[in-house]
Amino acid sequence: MLKPEINELLTRTGPGTPMGAMFRQYWIPAMLAEELPENDSPPVRLKLLSERLIAFRDSEGRYGLIDEFCAHRGASLWFGRNEQSGLRCAYHGWKYDVTGQCVEVPSEPDNNNFCANVKLTAYPLVRIGDVLWTYLGDPAKQPPLPEFEFALVPPEQTYTSKRWQESNWLQAFEGGIDSSHVTFLHSGGLKSDPLFKGAKGNEYNMNDLKPFFEVAEADGGLFVGARRNAEDGQYYWRITPWVMPCFTMVPPRGDHPMHGHFWIPIDDHNCWAYSFDYHPVRALTEAERQAMKDGHGVHSANIPGTYRPQANKDNDYLMDREAQRAGETYSGIKGIAMQDASLQESMGPIVDRSKERLVSADTGIIKARQRLRKAVLALRDEGVVPPGVDPAHHRVRSAAVVLPRESSFIEACQDALTASPGVPQSTV
Amino acid sequence: MTAFMRPVLLNSCAMAATEEEARYRIDVPIKGRQGARVVALDEVANGILRRVARQGWNAARFLELASRGAAAVVLRDLDGVLSSLGEQLETADVVVMIATADGDEHAASAIGAACTARGIMTAGLILDAGGGVGGAGTALRPHARVLMVTSDENDVSEVLLALRA
Ligand code: FES
Ligand SMILES: [Fe+2]
Repeated sequence: MLKPEINELLTRTGPGTPMGAMFRQYWIPAMLAEELPENDSPPVRLKLLSERLIAFRDSEGRYGLIDEFCAHRGASLWFGRNEQSGLRCAYHGWKYDVTGQCVEVPSEPDNNNFCANVKLTAYPLVRIGDVLWTYLGDPAKQPPLPEFEFALVPPEQTYTSKRWQESNWLQAFEGGIDSSHVTFLHSGGLKSDPLFKGAKGNEYNMNDLKPFFEVAEADGGLFVGARRNAEDGQYYWRITPWVMPCFTMVPPRGDHPMHGHFWIPIDDHNCWAYSFDYHPVRALTEAERQAMKDGHGVHSANIPGTYRPQANKDNDYLMDREAQRAGETYSGIKGIAMQDASLQESMGPIVDRSKERLVSADTGIIKARQRLRKAVLALRDEGVVPPGVDPAHHRVRSAAVVLPRESSFIEACQDALTASPGVPQSTV
Repeated sequence: MTAFMRPVLLNSCAMAATEEEARYRIDVPIKGRQGARVVALDEVANGILRRVARQGWNAARFLELASRGAAAVVLRDLDGVLSSLGEQLETADVVVMIATADGDEHAASAIGAACTARGIMTAGLILDAGGGVGGAGTALRPHARVLMVTSDENDVSEVLLALRA
């Protein structure tokens, strides 16, 4: 359980909130690159950390992320014309460049410098991999660009999707490090999902339903290890890294691509679940890429042209009681992404953590909340830069390994848990 | 028509999971945990235990080892009262062990094994000052449902608070 005031502290991310200030220390995914596919493509409305923004790509291919509303009389620039290196408001024709600078006020005489003094709030928008990243903090403190491996491998080795989740970011994120639900909620998928099935590790998963857990601190966050019995008195370990504030990875299965998530606050009641898959040393196959697009693995099948899952709260997530009864799915919901999302959304937009009854298997979550709280307060009270800002903290990987009983995973897996270009993942 | 295209519950989730509906959730006070035992496995851990015990707790009992490496584990509470491991476990529902790298390995595995035999949940918190998990960590590993290696002694109260100890 968490005291109500701590729950508030960790869940509110709008401007002026302590957690909002913390999120504004990091480069975070703002959108997928595919949302701005070409120069002068239609502008995209988006909300991030409770700020309404508009993203566009100008005639020279520069990306811009600016205040959604025109400085003149507040019309949405979503209706604007993206033309000749700027976004022009459809109402009276004021035009802005990617830095938010107003470059033309048609009603004013030529060469008048009125517009020089008009500038909308703007944030950087930078493409790395399939993601456009932004930094919503103080420009003077902008950290180096992110170095997550999934975004740095060659394009043919990686795939990223996103889905809208109708819950606060924290409960979505907590699912990402909550290894104890996998045995139940996702049990169906190990046998059938094209992006999981067939791995030797799956047998250990299914043969031992009561894993032991080990939680270890990392410079940028945590490693949560789930341990099951393997043959010859050895242990099968699945190790999940968390990089603060909201990057998690799922331990790999066999030679399947590795996957993970970013949990990004839209506002306090909604978040984006970015889901990526990549293979460190080989291209994704056509079949794998297709499976991802079809919503298998950690991805979701979205309503075409949107990032809202087809199974969503308006249709009860397409609950299938027959599949539930037959054991094809544990909860009756198809696909691991929506299995998670359905339950997390059912908790309410912001779950009341003062009502929980936690058990020792929840220690990873307890520790993560504690690290978040400490970092938020250290930033607020002493200006301490939180863990996870330094790109060195981004170079982590998940791992699935079999170790002798006496090994400590954190000591035995130093290399396995470090992202190294060209080195295959450690997986069973 | 396939099941995939058939919403079957008339969209009740959309209504049930709103913020407004939260006020209709049944709200009964949650009874604190009655059976938490917190056991320190070495001198440094004893110090932490005493500091943590001073904060207000539900029914948690804070215990030290009466002697190191003893064949039968005897525990001493903060008032100096001795009890056997068996007595303490009779009414326990979770046992949280605290140790540094120097923790008593023998006690760690004896307590862990006794809890396993009785089906009592265990957690081990290893305070790591850079010296690794040590013998106590290794001894706890087979028994502690969760083992946390941490450099921050506040984690002890953090975990106990979350468990409503
Ligand atoms: S069993 Fe975990 S929320 Fe119900
Ligand atoms: Fe999940």
